[in-house]
Amino acid sequence: MASGAGEWSAEQIDDYETLISTTDVELLKRAWRNEKASPEILPFEEALVKRAKEQIQLMEETVDDFAESGHDPLIASLYQMDLDRAQFLLRSYLRVRLQKIEKFMFHIWKMDTYRNRLSIEEEKFTERCIRDIGKYLEETVLSKLPDNYQSVLKQSIISEEDDMVPEPQLDTFVVAKCERATRPLYLDGSRQSASFDSSRDDHFQMVPGDLCILRYRPFQEELMSGNISLV
Amino acid sequence: MHGRKAYELVKEFADGEKGHLKIFNNELFERVIEECNEHHNALQSLIRKMQEEGLEVQTARNADHYGALIHHLSLIRNKRCLMAYVYNRAEIIRELAWKVGLLHELPGEIQEKFSDSEEQYFKDHSKSLKSYMSQLSLDVNVDMVPPKDPYIKVRVLEDLGSGIILSDKSANFARHSMHFLKRTDAEQYVARGLMEELTG
Repeated sequence: MASGAGEWSAEQIDDYETLISTTDVELLKRAWRNEKASPEILPFEEALVKRAKEQIQLMEETVDDFAESGHDPLIASLYQMDLDRAQFLLRSYLRVRLQKIEKFMFHIWKMDTYRNRLSIEEEKFTERCIRDIGKYLEETVLSKLPDNYQSVLKQSIISEEDDMVPEPQLDTFVVAKCERATRPLYLDGSRQSASFDSSRDDHFQMVPGDLCILRYRPFQEELMSGNISLV
Repeated sequence: MHGRKAYELVKEFADGEKGHLKIFNNELFERVIEECNEHHNALQSLIRKMQEEGLEVQTARNADHYGALIHHLSLIRNKRCLMAYVYNRAEIIRELAWKVGLLHELPGEIQEKFSDSEEQYFKDHSKSLKSYMSQLSLDVNVDMVPPKDPYIKVRVLEDLGSGIILSDKSANFARHSMHFLKRTDAEQYVARGLMEELTG
């Protein structure tokens, strides 16, 4: 796949990456990028969002102090710009999540794995979304159709599964960057964590710095464990 | 013709400009609903006929069975088309709720394209968004584009008067006047088409 890490040793890069990636801004940036690039909703970064909000508040106070004390306006404006960027990042992160919820609300609601990834506020929002659109579809279409065809989730009463629910496209392509060495990955997404099957040669391993363009599904677990991030 | 009307309905939406609404096509919509009911009646009468002939509806494979199946599938197709029409419109409505619904009434020329329940949905969804933001005490509908400069230059397109007080100053926002404003303040007016951003 991608070539090695170039002139730097993997260790050096590791050190550098850990140093850089420990600030909250970097973490938030990574969470935001992952969320933006992944087709499904990811676990809510509760602690991180809380910290980011606190820091933004602190910054706001600093900027206000500067404005009041008539300090150097250039410095104040630099602080303001930094603040704006942090705020954009936070808002955009939350916004991307809400937009995913709007798109896949029924799917998210019925799958426990997805539902557990929401924050309390997002859960309430999803509930309201479903209620609103349910009411709206009911009024416009469903109540006017014959009895057996009125479900919002199923095409008709004889459908065994919910076949009218939009689902995220997990086989879409993503660009992934390796943060920590991954387990052997298979292109078809099959997992081989317990017994490594050496007879198969269609697997590969990513090392830090690698950049790959591949389907999302095989990366799912690696993304959750933080071994890779999306760009 | 089976499904022709429903196809026209979806086609009409698909032909429209992306992100723009046309007037809700009630006439065609009602025609499709009617067609659904016709299919349903035909389906029912075929099933009745089979029952009268003493056939097991689930297992019999005669002409009537396949006739009924065609009606069933046409009905489902019509349902999917109707839902697609309504649902895709709902997506545009949600987008509008993000852009303008949280602070203001919709401009009249958009509002008249809504059906009554669409208008209600717009209001409901705006409320849901609002309640999410108030729980979080954070507005997520500003800062839609990554910030480059905290201040932007804008031209006022419609007379706004001097009633508006922005976070750091108040000014007379007469039509065609130009201002240097905080981006977060100006964004909502730009979104509503009351101001335009001057670049370069």
